[in-house]
Amino acid sequence: MSIRLAGAAIFMVAAVYTWFGSGYSAPFGDVLGPSVFTLIVGIPTMLLSASLVAFPSGQTDWPDKSGWLRQGAALAILFGYAATLKGLGFPIATFFLIALLGITLGGKPVKSLILGAVMSLFLWALFDQVLGLPLAFLGAYFGGR
Amino acid sequence: METLNLLAVGFSVALTPLNIALLLLGCFSGTLIGALPGLGPVNGVAILIPLTFAFGFDATSSLILLSAVYFGCMYGGRISSILLNIPGDEPAVMTTLDGFPMSQQGRAADALAISGVASFVGATIAVIGLSMFAPLLARAAIYFGPADYFALYIMAFATIGGVAGVDPRKTLLSALIGLMIATVGIDPISGIPRFTDGNYHLYDGIEPIVALVGLFAISEILMMLGSRAGEATRAVRIDSWLPDFRSILATRWAMLRGSLIGFVAGVLPGAGASLGSVMSYSMEKQASDKHGTFGKGDPRGVAAPEAGNNAASGGALIPMLSLGVPGSGTTAVMLAMLISLNVQPGPLLFERQPELVWGLVASLYMANIALLVLNLPMIGLFTRLMAVPTWALMPIVAAVSFVGVFSISNSTFDLQVMIAFGILGYLLRKFDISLVPLVLGLLLGGDMERNLRRAMSISDGDWSILIASPISVTLYVLTAGFLALSVWLALRDHRREKERALLD
Repeated sequence: MSIRLAGAAIFMVAAVYTWFGSGYSAPFGDVLGPSVFTLIVGIPTMLLSASLVAFPSGQTDWPDKSGWLRQGAALAILFGYAATLKGLGFPIATFFLIALLGITLGGKPVKSLILGAVMSLFLWALFDQVLGLPLAFLGAYFGGR
Repeated sequence: METLNLLAVGFSVALTPLNIALLLLGCFSGTLIGALPGLGPVNGVAILIPLTFAFGFDATSSLILLSAVYFGCMYGGRISSILLNIPGDEPAVMTTLDGFPMSQQGRAADALAISGVASFVGATIAVIGLSMFAPLLARAAIYFGPADYFALYIMAFATIGGVAGVDPRKTLLSALIGLMIATVGIDPISGIPRFTDGNYHLYDGIEPIVALVGLFAISEILMMLGSRAGEATRAVRIDSWLPDFRSILATRWAMLRGSLIGFVAGVLPGAGASLGSVMSYSMEKQASDKHGTFGKGDPRGVAAPEAGNNAASGGALIPMLSLGVPGSGTTAVMLAMLISLNVQPGPLLFERQPELVWGLVASLYMANIALLVLNLPMIGLFTRLMAVPTWALMPIVAAVSFVGVFSISNSTFDLQVMIAFGILGYLLRKFDISLVPLVLGLLLGGDMERNLRRAMSISDGDWSILIASPISVTLYVLTAGFLALSVWLALRDHRREKERALLD
């Protein structure tokens, strides 16, 4: 069933892609124009994904409920990191990233917090101080860069 | 003779202090990445690419670093196969069959030494093959016109999935999804923005490196979270690291056979190191398994697949460098780096930038020697580092991925794109859709379209130019034959599965 749904989803994306792709045109210039290649890609994608809906192959075993929860938590942590990196600055944001991901992956909370504290400072020192990649120590929330 | 002169040039490039330092660093971290279960060559190389950008190394130095990591991973993958019965990366699966039984019988030191020497033999034979055959292939490829390149790319997409196993429709779909993503952004020929929805972040297109790190590193984290957090595995205890040298010598023919088979498997499109080690092992079993000792700790069963996967990984560099069409996942990722550094691999690379090609080849010879030293006397160090638990390793991998991607453009938009590609990669892997064709489509899509449009401008809109040259016709015939073979194999497997289901 999952494969059929995936095929249907890819079909929808490919259909929208082909629809938009067929609309592009250049007023002058090259012979083929910007839309032909998108059709060459989009139409076979629609055909192949439709065939997956009709004749699915293979099985998918999804994670159990706790697996979904862990993955959801991890995505929240990752997107949260992307959203707050500039605000918090590298070491603080990375501390939360490593510590929280460590707990999600089944590490002991205290050990994960220690790992986060040590590694965030170590990575900042390694990349910013030693290797010369500029990473803000304090973010915009604290009046840093 | 010419090759030797060019090699001398290569050694003069490779023997600068920076390149030697990068080589040693790459060998060390590669062996470690390979040995850690859950991190393989593709993830390792993908995570390191943004960092090489950030440090502003030139293309030669970056390629030396990444190739050393690549070769190091191939050496390191066997360590956890032998000691933990968990392959450190995919090509090392075959090494568990005889390697783990050997270490259970107290011969772990022998198994590690044999596989280390086998890795060295395989990789060295592959690098010799690379120095001999890559220039030949590049010389032939100079006669390729735009229409021929278009045909070559089609063949690459059709064959990258390999013959065995998966549904060929899924492989093609994966490549097509990659091509779709590659068309996002401003069309370089007409200047029209495509599929950007007015978002100026997308005008430059999707940066392949950002997509790659997400596809491989982030999706790996999601995979681990989905399966139950792993129970701790205990390594086999080792009392002595000193191997018995006679047992190494006894496997010399297995090593040579494995190397040759692996090398051929590596050069062929769509095979790569995993198939190289599988083929080497099964051929060796047929050739030498007289007393049914394979699978119970036969040293030859360790030597052959290790020689095979290392030879295959060297062989896979040949189509990547000389045609610009990678034959395996890791070489596809390395191609991404070269393209991002404005180096277009292919036949012209050998003429325009011989110092890059031959610097790489020379440093691969040196990498093999460094890796032999790292993997024989210093093996104890890696077995200790290997004990890092997953909960501590993966968050650090995530943090380093973020640093690398963030440093490319200093934009958090790229970080979000990376995570989104992580979700996409996770879903596709769950549906048994391989990510390598997608990466190839994403990388080669722009070039494929440009070649098609160039060919059509030459012929003024006449489609028959696509089959006007004997080269392109040959490539299409090969592609069709390959697709027919893989469809036939898939149908046969499907039928067998059904028969088995009826019997149960």
